[in-house]
Amino acid sequence: MGVFDKSFWEIFSSQLVSIVGGMIAGTILAAYTEKLLMIPGMLILIPGFLEMRNSISGSFASRLSSGLFLGVIKPNRIETKIIKGNLSASFFLAIVTSLSLGIIAFLFSYIIFHVFIFKIIFLSLIAGIIANAVELPLTLFATVYIFKKGHDPNNIIGPFVTSTGDIISILSLLLTLLIL
Amino acid sequence: METLRKHLEKLRKIERKKHHPLIHKIHKKHKISKKTLFYVKEYGPHTHVPRTIIKESIKILLMASIISSFGGFALEYIKTIFVSILPLIILLPTLNDMIGDYGTIISSRFSTMLHENKINKKWWLNKELKKLLIQIMIVSLLTAILSVLGSVLIASFYENITSLILLKTLAITVIDVMLLVSILFITAIIAGLYVYRKEEDPNNFLIPITTSVADFGNMIILAVLIILFF
Repeated sequence: MGVFDKSFWEIFSSQLVSIVGGMIAGTILAAYTEKLLMIPGMLILIPGFLEMRNSISGSFASRLSSGLFLGVIKPNRIETKIIKGNLSASFFLAIVTSLSLGIIAFLFSYIIFHVFIFKIIFLSLIAGIIANAVELPLTLFATVYIFKKGHDPNNIIGPFVTSTGDIISILSLLLTLLIL
Repeated sequence: METLRKHLEKLRKIERKKHHPLIHKIHKKHKISKKTLFYVKEYGPHTHVPRTIIKESIKILLMASIISSFGGFALEYIKTIFVSILPLIILLPTLNDMIGDYGTIISSRFSTMLHENKINKKWWLNKELKKLLIQIMIVSLLTAILSVLGSVLIASFYENITSLILLKTLAITVIDVMLLVSILFITAIIAGLYVYRKEEDPNNFLIPITTSVADFGNMIILAVLIILFF
């Protein structure tokens, strides 16, 4: 039973990429602990907020990859019904999920900790919009680019979405804090 | 090639909601994966793409959000201790990603094994499954150690990190990751076998199940370990 085979190194290398992205996001989080983490309900919001882009952008990239391999999506023609449909659906899902996460964090904070922090709903919603406005087009272009270069986006885009998504999500939360 | 095209065109015209035997037929005859054929059927000319995606994803996304928030609640509960341990703050996004990724890998690999009929009643004797467990355990141990070292190194630029904090952070991370990988394996096997016996595709169920377990479990175990160690 050869444990250290190709599959082992593929998992290991993709995890290393993921760690780097996570570390950068974590460093930003640590640098702004006072501003970000000390907001009541923030730790309820953050895990779901980080997970959201994995579910939305990850699935978006996966659907695009399948379409590219099937020839339903042409790498040189981005403005098609199927891509526009995918983009708008992913963006809509991001808005609904961000809003829900904000409401859940608000309710938890209010019911369990007796802290009335209505701001967290807007924080989640606006940050979700900003993060996905950057992340979704980035995922689209990265998937098409990787495919054009002759690689399988399914093997590469996962760690890419995870690493960039973490950084973009934390930065968008900080940016929203500045706006609000 | 012409037969294949005809078959694919026929598949695209089938009403989206129907599970059609044609998928199985084309899969057998032309060796095209069921996932690919499903895609052809799912996004045919008669479908409204955004509506299809939203309809199929919204429930699972909302469920995942609620589960993640429950996990986050555990951390919020011990916020004062948590925010005082800088390496753990730096590690939070990495841990979140790592555990979720292992959930995805275990689920997709186990689903493939089920589809390939490699898993029988005595699944614990399966060599490929054992190999996957060992591989994931080794990768998770190595990445846990590397990420702790990285986070401690970064944290040391901000404040003085004692060797005791380093050891405690290492212990918390390694226990958390190893425990969760074991839980994810058990979850994937139990849920995978159940779903497969029901003649459903485990791919569609295992990833959401394991990633939700990973998110929720990670935060809960992390919170318990922080209380125990600090």
